[in-house]
Amino acid sequence: MKHSLRSSTLVLVSLFCASACIPASAEAAEGAQGFPEQADIQAGHPAPSAPRAMATIPGPLRSFLRMAGISQEARPEEVLPLLARNVSLLGYQAGGETEYLILLRRYVEFARELRAQVDAQDTIHVDSCDDAGKLIIVLGYQFKGNCGDKDAYLVTANAERAFLTVDSAFPLTRLEEALQNHTPFSYSFPATEAPVLFREQDWVGASSWRHKGAATVVDVLLHDVDLDRLYWALSKEDDETQMALHRSRGLRSLIPIATALEFYGSQISVRSGRVLVPGGPRADAAWEQLVGASPHSPGEFVEHLCERDHGWLAAYFDAISRVNREQQRHLTEVPRLRLMYDIYRRAGSSSSAMRGVFPRNGDLLVLFDGLRWQPDGTLYIPGNLEIWKEIFNQDSSPKLIRDWVKNARRWDSPEQLLMTLVACSTFQSDEGPLQIYMTLSAVDRGRQTQNRLADGTVRLMAAKFSRYHSWYLAFTEFSALNDTSVTQFLKAADAVTDISAPALRSNALGALQANIGLWEILARQQEIPDAAMNTSWQSMVSPFIGVSTSVQLFDATRSSLGSMLNVASGDANLSQDQIIDLLAGPAQQSDAGRRAHEEIADRMRGVLDDQRLVSLDTLFALYDGLDQMAHGSAVKDQLIPLAGSLREFEMPRAIFTAGEKAAWAPQIYTSRHAELQVRTDLTRVIQSGSAAQLEAARGQLTPFLRDTLVGLNYAYYEPPGAQILRNNPLFVRSHDFGATSISGYSEIWDPPSLVGIGVTAGGGAYLIGSLANLPYALASAEDEFIAPENAGALVWQGAAPALLVDAVQPRWWSTTPTELHAATLYQRMGEELLVAASGNAEVRGRVTDILADLMNPRRMEMTDRALADAADTVALMPRITPAEKFYLAAQYRRLYPADAAASGAAGRELDALARSNPAEVSAERLSRDFGVPHPTLEQTNACAILNVKPLPAFAGEDYGLVGESWESSNLYWARLADEMGYAPASLNLLVPELSRLMIAKIFATDLDDWPAILRAMELTGDEFRQGGIPIAAMTTISQR
Amino acid sequence: MKFVLFVAFCSGLVVAASGGPATPAQDKSSSRIFVNVVLVQLNVAVTDRHGNYITGLRPENFDITEDKISEKIATFEEGGAPGSGMGNAAEPDRSSVSPEAASPAENAKDEAGANAAGASVSRLAGASVFILFDSSDYMYRGFVFAQDAIAGFVRSIEQADRIAYYSYSRNLSRATALTTDRTLVMQGVRSTVAGDEAALYNCLLLTVRDAAQLRGRKAVVVFSNGPDNASSVPPEDVEELAQSTGTIIYIISTRQAQDDPLSSAVFERMSKGTGGKAYFAKDWRDENLAFASIREDLAHLYTISYYPKPNPNRGWRTISVKLVGKDLGKYHVRTRDGYRLQEQIPTASQATSGQASETDFSGKQPSTGSSQEHP
Repeated sequence: MKHSLRSSTLVLVSLFCASACIPASAEAAEGAQGFPEQADIQAGHPAPSAPRAMATIPGPLRSFLRMAGISQEARPEEVLPLLARNVSLLGYQAGGETEYLILLRRYVEFARELRAQVDAQDTIHVDSCDDAGKLIIVLGYQFKGNCGDKDAYLVTANAERAFLTVDSAFPLTRLEEALQNHTPFSYSFPATEAPVLFREQDWVGASSWRHKGAATVVDVLLHDVDLDRLYWALSKEDDETQMALHRSRGLRSLIPIATALEFYGSQISVRSGRVLVPGGPRADAAWEQLVGASPHSPGEFVEHLCERDHGWLAAYFDAISRVNREQQRHLTEVPRLRLMYDIYRRAGSSSSAMRGVFPRNGDLLVLFDGLRWQPDGTLYIPGNLEIWKEIFNQDSSPKLIRDWVKNARRWDSPEQLLMTLVACSTFQSDEGPLQIYMTLSAVDRGRQTQNRLADGTVRLMAAKFSRYHSWYLAFTEFSALNDTSVTQFLKAADAVTDISAPALRSNALGALQANIGLWEILARQQEIPDAAMNTSWQSMVSPFIGVSTSVQLFDATRSSLGSMLNVASGDANLSQDQIIDLLAGPAQQSDAGRRAHEEIADRMRGVLDDQRLVSLDTLFALYDGLDQMAHGSAVKDQLIPLAGSLREFEMPRAIFTAGEKAAWAPQIYTSRHAELQVRTDLTRVIQSGSAAQLEAARGQLTPFLRDTLVGLNYAYYEPPGAQILRNNPLFVRSHDFGATSISGYSEIWDPPSLVGIGVTAGGGAYLIGSLANLPYALASAEDEFIAPENAGALVWQGAAPALLVDAVQPRWWSTTPTELHAATLYQRMGEELLVAASGNAEVRGRVTDILADLMNPRRMEMTDRALADAADTVALMPRITPAEKFYLAAQYRRLYPADAAASGAAGRELDALARSNPAEVSAERLSRDFGVPHPTLEQTNACAILNVKPLPAFAGEDYGLVGESWESSNLYWARLADEMGYAPASLNLLVPELSRLMIAKIFATDLDDWPAILRAMELTGDEFRQGGIPIAAMTTISQR
Repeated sequence: MKFVLFVAFCSGLVVAASGGPATPAQDKSSSRIFVNVVLVQLNVAVTDRHGNYITGLRPENFDITEDKISEKIATFEEGGAPGSGMGNAAEPDRSSVSPEAASPAENAKDEAGANAAGASVSRLAGASVFILFDSSDYMYRGFVFAQDAIAGFVRSIEQADRIAYYSYSRNLSRATALTTDRTLVMQGVRSTVAGDEAALYNCLLLTVRDAAQLRGRKAVVVFSNGPDNASSVPPEDVEELAQSTGTIIYIISTRQAQDDPLSSAVFERMSKGTGGKAYFAKDWRDENLAFASIREDLAHLYTISYYPKPNPNRGWRTISVKLVGKDLGKYHVRTRDGYRLQEQIPTASQATSGQASETDFSGKQPSTGSSQEHP
C-alpha cells in the first residue's frame, strides 16, 4: 500500500534488459496487461510427461533470449511463454509497436540471414579474412585495414545491423582477431528447438495475423498480441486445464477470456475431469450456482468463470483459492459464498477487473487471508458493530459504501460487516474501512481476550487512521502495549502535528518519530523488559505533548530518550557510544557474539560519522553548559570548543551556483535545514551573551539533536552496500518530516518516499514523510547500488528492497545453537520426506497434500509427477524452496507425529531434539527466529513464516505482497551458517551481506520469477561454502 | 571496546611509510583513533597556453600548500618514469633517483596518429584506467558508434597497465574487471547490453570507489551522452570522493550533451575538479582528438606526494600547486584542488580479482597496518 514518488514511470520494470529496455518500454507497460505468476512456468521442474511439439527459433538460444528480454537462465520450455508475455507487455504502446518489438523482429530476420550462412554442422565458418566480406556485411560492419594487419579493426557500417550483432552477443571480438591474424573463424549458430503448447499449427491457424508464406509460432507471437496473451495465460495452467480449455472451444474462441485467465486463472486446477474449486467438493454446488456451469464440465466452467462480470467472478475465485483451506471452508459456506460475491460484483460493477497492469483482487485476498473467526463461526470484530457503522459513515469510506450502510434496513450482524468489507475491497485505498478493519484486527490478534482494544480506543484509532495508520504497526508488533499507550501516542502525535511553526514542527516530528524508532529497536531486541513496555512507551512519547518552543522540544526529546535508556540499561545518561552499543544489540556472552556486536556498533558509528552528525555527548554538554552559564557558572572555556565542533559540519562543495540550482532543480529541497546548521554559531553568545540569550541559544541545538537521533535510526537499518548513507552527508539532515519541500504533500506520517532521483542539480535524493517503514525506504534507496553480476540484468525493484529488509530488520542475538540447528533439521527432514515420497504412495499422498497449501496448481502437478519417479525427485529437490521444505516437515510432524521420525536421519534427530528442547525446536519459535516482516499481508513488522503461496504484484499494493511472500532466505542462511559452523549471532553480519550478493546474482525475467531468487540464493550459498565469497566480516565472525 | 580507525585517506594510496612507529592515540571521548598522517598524492598536469605539456620539471619547481600550509614533497614522478624518493619515501625499496636536470621543455602536442600513440605508450605504465560506458536509453541511437569509439580508445592504449570496462544504465555492470588483457576488455565492450534509465552519478560513484582502492595513477574515463534521470547521489558527492581519493575523471561526450547546459556544466566542472577534462566531440565518430588528449594527459602527469603537516581542519582541505622558478609562472597547472578527510575505503578486491560483484562492506574496517598512525 505504499506509493513511491520514486519514479512514476516504473510501473513495471524489466529485470532483464536487452533491447527490452529501449525507450518507452515502461510506458508501454502501463497500457498493457500484467502477467502474474511466472513462477509456475519457471519452476524448473522436470518436463511434463507428455511429449511436446517443438518450434524452431532461428539462431542460438542465448542470442534470442538477450534480444527477447528473457533471462539466460530460462529453460527451453519456458522460452515461448516468456516470449509471449514480453511481447504482449513490452511490444505495443498507444496502438503502435515499440522499439523492443521492432528490434526483436529485426533480430529474427537477422538470425535467419545468418542461418543461411551456416554449414552442415550449423556453424558459420570463414576460412580466412578474404572470405569474410559477406559475413561482415550481414553483421553491419566494415573491416578497416588489411587482412593480417594487427592494427586493422571492425567498425560500424550499418548501425541497425551492427546493433543487432552486438546486442545479440555475436562474438565480434573473436572475428576481429581472426581477421587481424588471418586465421579461420568459426561460430556455432544453430537453430533452437523450444517446446510449444499444443501444436505449432494450432497457433498459426488461430492467428488473425496476415502473412506471406509459411509462418511459425514464433512469427505469430511476434505479430499477434491476442495470441501472446492467450499463450501466456494458458501456459500458467496445469496440463489438464490446458487440454480442457483447448478441447472445449479451440484457441481462437479462448481469446476473449485470455486476460481474465491471465490475471486470475493460475489457481484453476482440473483433475480427473473436474475443476477443484476452493472449499472442496462440498462447495461444488455453490460454485456451480455462481458460475452457471458445473465443475464437472471443466471447459465450460472455466469459460463461464472468466467471462462473467468483467472478470470479477474470476477475481473472486482466485482470491479464495489463494487462502488456506480453513479460510476457504469459512468463505465457501452457504449462503456466504454467494452473498459475498453478489456485493463484490455490485461494488465492482462500474469498472472491469481486467483493467490496468495488475490483478485487482489484492485487497480482497488480504482481507480473506486475515479474517478471524469466533468459535461460533462468526467474524471477529474489533470494537463493536455500532463503531463500525460509524466508520463506514466516515468521509474516508467510499460513497457507495456509505449509502449502503445508511440505507440498509438492518445492519447489525458481523456477516453484514463482512459483506461491506468485501465491497470495500473493490475500491483502492490506503486508509478506508477495509484497511482500518485489517489493522485493528491485527492489533487485537496478539492480545488476550481481556486485553483487546477497548471500544473507545477502536473508535479513536479509526478516527485517526488516515493520518497515523502506518504507525499502528507498532501496536500490532508489540501486543503488550495497552490502550493507554495507544492514546498517549495519539495525543503526542497530534500535539507535534499541530505545532504551527514549520521548523519546530519538523524537528518535533523527527525527534518523536526517531525516539519511537529507537524504542522499537530496543523492544524488538528484547532490551525492554515485558513488564516495562507500557511505562517505557508512555514516558517516551508523553514529553512531546505540549511542546511549543525549541528549548522545550530539546528537553522533551532528551527526557524521552533518557527514560527509554533508563529502562533498557538502568542509566538514563548513557554516552552516545553506549547508546550505540545498546542499539547494536544485547550484550553477548560468546566471543563470536561479541565480535558481531562490535562490528554492528562500528558500522553504526560509521554512518553517523559519514553523515557528519554532531555527537549526542557534545549536544548535551553544550546544552547543559549554556544553562549553567546562564545561571552564573564559569564554563565558557569548556563550551567554546564544543561550540566549535558544531561548525565542523560543512556542506558538500558546490558544483552549481544558487541560480543554477533554482533553474535546474526548481522543485527540489534547498537543504535549508542543513544550511541553517552551517550558519549556527554559538561562540558569540557564549562569549558575550546575556543569561536570557544563553538560555534561548539552547534551542538552536534542537535541529542537531533531531538529526543525530534520526541518524541512529538510519544507521541501524543501513542496508548492506549502502552508498547514499556513506557518501551524501546531507541524506539524514534532508529528511523532510514536515513535507515542506513539495507543495501539497500532506502524508507526513506515511512511510517516506524517496524524492529527487535523477535531479542532477538537486543535491541528492532524500526522504520525505515519516520514519515509518524506514528499513524499506532505505533499502529502496540503496538497492540500485547493487551491481548485477549477469550481463543485462537489472536490480529487481519489486523484490530487492523486501529481500534487504528481511536481511536487515531481523536480528539473531538471542537465537540459540539449538534453534539454528533445528532450522537445518526441518529442511533436511523435508528433503527426506520428498525422497520417501517417491517410493511410497502413502507418503507421497501426504506430502503432496501438504505442499498443495504452498504451491499453485501447475507447480503442484509437476511436483506430483516428479515424485512418482526417484530420478525426477532428485532433480526436483533443488527447486523446492527452503520454506516449502520447512513447512512440509513441520506439518508432517504435526499431522503424523507417529511417523515423523521415520523420514530418515534428520527426522530422527529432529524428533530427539524436539523431545529434549520442545520450545526451541517448535515450528512457532523457528518461525519467529527465521521469519520475515509482513507489513502488507499481516499489518505487522513482527517476523514470522506465514506459509503462503507465492503472490504476484497486485494493483494498489505496490510490490509489498510480492516481497512478503518470499520467506525462504533466512531459513536458508540459517542452515548454511549451521552447516558451516557459524554461531547464531554471526547471522547478524552474514545475512545482510549474503542477501546483497544474492540480489546481485538474481537473473529474473520479470516480477514473479521466484525461481530466479531460489537459484541466486543457492548459488550464493554454494560460493560461500566454497570460500569464493570474500566477505570482509569473515575475520570477525570466524566459525565455531 | 572496538577501535574505529579514521584515516586521512587521500588518493587511495595508503603507503607503508618508513617514518616513526605508529603511535595511535585514543580519543577517550569517542574511543576512536584518529590518524592524522598518510600520503597525499597529486597528479599534476603542466601545460603552456597552447595546451602543450611541459616536461622535465623538478620537485623544487613545485610549491604545494594545503590550507596555506606549505608542504614538503615526499615523492616525485614524471609521466611513466620511475619515482624518486624524497626523504620520507613512500616505497623505500625504490632507489633514490633524482629527477633529471632537464630544462623545462615544451613538447609539441601530439595528434591522434600512430606515432603519438606509440610515444605515449611507455609513459602509461602504472596507470589504471576505468572505462564507464553509458548504455542507457540516451545512448541508443549512437550505441554502436560509441562502442566503436571505446574500442578505438582501448586499442590506442594497448600497452597501458590495466583497464577495466564498466557500463551503466540504471545499475552498474562490471563487465571486465581491471586487467592487462585487452582481449577481455574488447569482449566486454562488444558484449554490452543496451539498458534503460541513466544513473550516471550513482555508477560513477561506484566506479570511483573501485578505483580508490588502487595505488598509482588511476583515472575513470566516462563515455556519456549526458542526462542522468536515475541517480540518487549528486555529482557533488562523486566529485568529492574522486578528489579525496585522487581519482581523475575524464568525460567524453558529444555536442548533443554540450547543448544541455546542465550536463555540460557538470561534466566540465566535475572533471576539472578532479584534475581531468571534459570533451565534447561532434559525434561518436569524431572522438579521436579526445582519446589522444586523454592518453597524452595520463602520460604527462607529474605524480607528486606529500605527508600533510599538522592541520586541525577535519573538513575540506584546499590544495594549491604553484610553479616556482624562472619563467615557470606562465604555465598552467591542473590538478585536484583539495580533498576531504576520508574514512579508509574498505579493502575490496573486485577491481582486481575479477569478481564482478562488490565485495566490500561499507562499514569501517580496522587498519591493515599499512597506514602510518600518529597521535
